[in-house]
Order: sequence, then C-alpha cells, then structure tokens
Amino acid sequence: MTKETFLHDKHIALGAKMVDFAGWSMPVQYTSIIEEHKTVREKVGLFDVSHMGEVFVSGKDAMEFLNKIVPQDITKLNYEKAVYCQLTNENGGLIDDLIIYKLGILEYLVICNASRIDEDLNWMVRNSKGFDVKIDNQSHNYSLLAVQGPNADELMRKLGLSTHQESFTIKPDKIAGIKVLVSRTGYTGEDGYEILVENKNSEYLWDKILEAGNEFGVKPIGLGARDTLRLEAALHLYGNDLDENTTPVEAGLSWSIPKDKKEYYNGKEVIEEQLKNGGRKKLVGLKMLDKSIARHEYEVYYKGEKTGVITSGAPSPMLGANIALAYVNNNDEICTGAIVQVMIREKLHDAEIVKRPFIQKRNKVKI
Amino acid sequence: MIMPENLLCSKSHEYVSDNGNNTFTIGLTDYAVEQLGDIVFLELPEVGSEFKKGDTFATVESVKAASEIYMPVSGKIIETNEAAVETPEILNEDCFEKGWLVKIEPTGNLETEQADLLEYEDYKEELE
Repeated sequence: MTKETFLHDKHIALGAKMVDFAGWSMPVQYTSIIEEHKTVREKVGLFDVSHMGEVFVSGKDAMEFLNKIVPQDITKLNYEKAVYCQLTNENGGLIDDLIIYKLGILEYLVICNASRIDEDLNWMVRNSKGFDVKIDNQSHNYSLLAVQGPNADELMRKLGLSTHQESFTIKPDKIAGIKVLVSRTGYTGEDGYEILVENKNSEYLWDKILEAGNEFGVKPIGLGARDTLRLEAALHLYGNDLDENTTPVEAGLSWSIPKDKKEYYNGKEVIEEQLKNGGRKKLVGLKMLDKSIARHEYEVYYKGEKTGVITSGAPSPMLGANIALAYVNNNDEICTGAIVQVMIREKLHDAEIVKRPFIQKRNKVKI
Repeated sequence: MIMPENLLCSKSHEYVSDNGNNTFTIGLTDYAVEQLGDIVFLELPEVGSEFKKGDTFATVESVKAASEIYMPVSGKIIETNEAAVETPEILNEDCFEKGWLVKIEPTGNLETEQADLLEYEDYKEELE
C-alpha cells in the first residue's frame, strides 16, 4: 500500500499532482515544475519531505558505532553540527547517503533516503554487534518540512526563529509555539532550512509557514522541482547517481572524506586506495549541445566507443540548457571541455563536459 | 478549425481531427498535455514518411521524462508543426489550434482503424 504523509490532505487541497515515490504518495507538482523551480531560486519554496527517514542513534558507543559505518570522522563532529556522510559496505559501495547530526553527547540523528530506510536499518543493526548503542527508527513519527530559497531566512525570522544559525547546524527551537528541530541544510543549492516536527503538528506548521511566507513569495514545491533544483546544484540522488556498485570516490564525493581518519570504517581499504589512484569510473557533468535531453540510463560515447551511462538528466530552468550527470571511464582525456556523445533514440548527440555544480550554489551561510 | 466535438481520441491520448479534404490533423489531447506538465522538447517525423496505426511517430518530453506518441491511424505525413518543435510550450497553452503535431493523408482503412477510437466526450468520460 502507498504511504501518505501527514500533509497529504494539504497537497490535495492545493491541487497537487500526486505520484508514487519510494512507496509514498508525494506531490510531484502543484502548478508547474519550471515555475516552482524559479520560485525557489528567486524567492522561497516550501517542501514536504516527510518521506525521508529519521533514525536516532544513542548510547555509550554511539559515536564509535557511527564512525565505523561512514568514511567521515564522527569523532570530530561537534554538538549541534551536521555532516554529509555515506553509508558504505565492505567494498566501499554506497548503501545510502546521509546527514548525521549531533544532538547531544551520546545522541545523534541520521536522516536517510526514503527508498533506502529498510536497507540502512538492516545494515546498521548488523553492524551494531559489540557496540552499546540504541538504533531507534522514528521515521513514522516525524514530518520533515524544507524551506528553501533566498528569502528562507527572512521567512524563518518572521516565524520567530530565536537564534541565528550557520549552515550545517541543528537547533531545537519553537515555531508558533510548537517544538521543532531546525537544521540549516537543504537539497536545492540555495540557503534554507529543514524543520523536523512531530506528525501531529505538521499541518499546523505547514499553514504557518505559508501564511508567514506570503509576503516573501512562498509557494509549495513538488518533487519535480526538487529534482531539477538538486540536479542544477549537482547533488546526488540515491538510486540514480548512487548505488551499491559505486564508491564515494567514483561519485565525486572525495571532498567529503577525511584523508587522515585513523579508525577503521566499512570499505576503508578500497576507498583509501581509490583516493590515491582514482576509481574505475568517475562522475561528470554534461551540458547538451543541442535541444535533446539526456535521461537516466542513456549510453555515453567517447571517440566512438561506449564510455559510460547517464544517471540523471533534465532541462535546467536557470541555464536554459539541458544538463546531466553521467559516469564515464576514468580516462584523463574525458575532462572538463571534452566533447562526448549521448545515445538518444538511436542517434548520437554531442554534449560538453562541464564543471559541477552547474549553477553557483548559495547555501553556505557563516555568522 | 479543430473542434473538440469533432475529434476522435485514442486510449494513448492522441487525437485525430478530420480536415474534410482527405487530410487529418493529429495531436495530443488536453488531458495528455496536462498530465505531462511543462513540455520542453518535441521531435516530429519528416514530411513524406509513413507510419502504421500504433507506430511511434514522435517523441514529447516534459521536464521529468520522455514519452512516445503513437499513430492513431495509418498515414503519410504531409505537414509538421514546426512552431511546436521550436516552442514546445505551446502544447501546454493550446494543444488543438496552435499545438497540433502533424497532418496526414490516411493510408489505411479508416473505418476499421477508427473502430477503437473514442469521440471526445466519451474519451473524457472514460478518464473519470
């Protein structure tokens, strides 16, 4: 059976077109993907991302346990800070990508993808042997709302957000009298917030945000625009751009991996070797040189030979061009500026390898 | 003039409109374009090419995905809507007058080929 978030009735009332995503009935668009995309880049958008998983990890060995299951150094994660992580298997393959927050001395919050929650939990429990740790899946009790765009900060201020926050931090707070956890993170390349709220308060909070955001141009935004926004920002989508046969190094995530982490973690040998010598394949950004659109699983050619495959592709509303992410063979010649071809309906179309992200990200906020 | 009441529609959401001079206009129904959302790319066949009923003759892409378009009746392409190829968003604005796709001369037995097509009103009812 398809699951519904606690905001389902709100989406229907707003005229959303609903689609199945990872077993959830989710709004793909309210008016138009392109319009919604521009709203987030120019003003501010509100997203229901309650399908995402929330797992609380606590106990005496919580830090050591998390440190074993991700390449990132959890011993260096400070109170109320967040870090982008990957859950890796013994071969360095990606089980999921996550954000881990430190909520207390012995308490962490792991936000994971809706499509991977079962695999993640299974993997965590299997790896918890010998650790004094409690793995508590609270996904069914929490809703997650994202407020994203250049006006997000003003909107949150209007709602009475009490403290100023840097990017990648999380703080307990109260909005309109209800308890929330506010994180300055997102999946759009814009500045913004993600707000974790108990299900029973999610409709109230949704309405409050739309009400307070009216003067800042807030609109509800569906998963369609969420996908084009994250693609312009070259943020990965699990299942498209990441899978168990791909390592973080191959996925272009080496920047997120500390080179000096002493402790063992799953896949460390493979990942450390690849950090030195590169992976079997590499992720690149493509810009189509004609009007064609490269889509997931289309083949990529270089000098007449198949070199890889498209993982995500769509029009970029901000660039007015069609963009894509692809894996290609780890060949030094296939670098920024090189021309490759994408097979689209049995014809080859030229594409240029361009730098990622495709747009300038504006999500780094320091105080 | 394409009048919805004169259309025949396929289950895969193409319409056929009789132009009266043994030519027909083919397009996507208003339901189809609404379901697709923002249309950003359209690929039409060459004038002169021939297709059988059910063949893929064109491709339309929304922001999210590419979809094939099938011939509702067999025919030879005699005209394509270049304005729609140039600015595919006109399909979202008006899929009948401005956003039609191709004009054809039928090459099959129209009577039998139209048997599984629905009149616009019945097509709309079927969708509910």
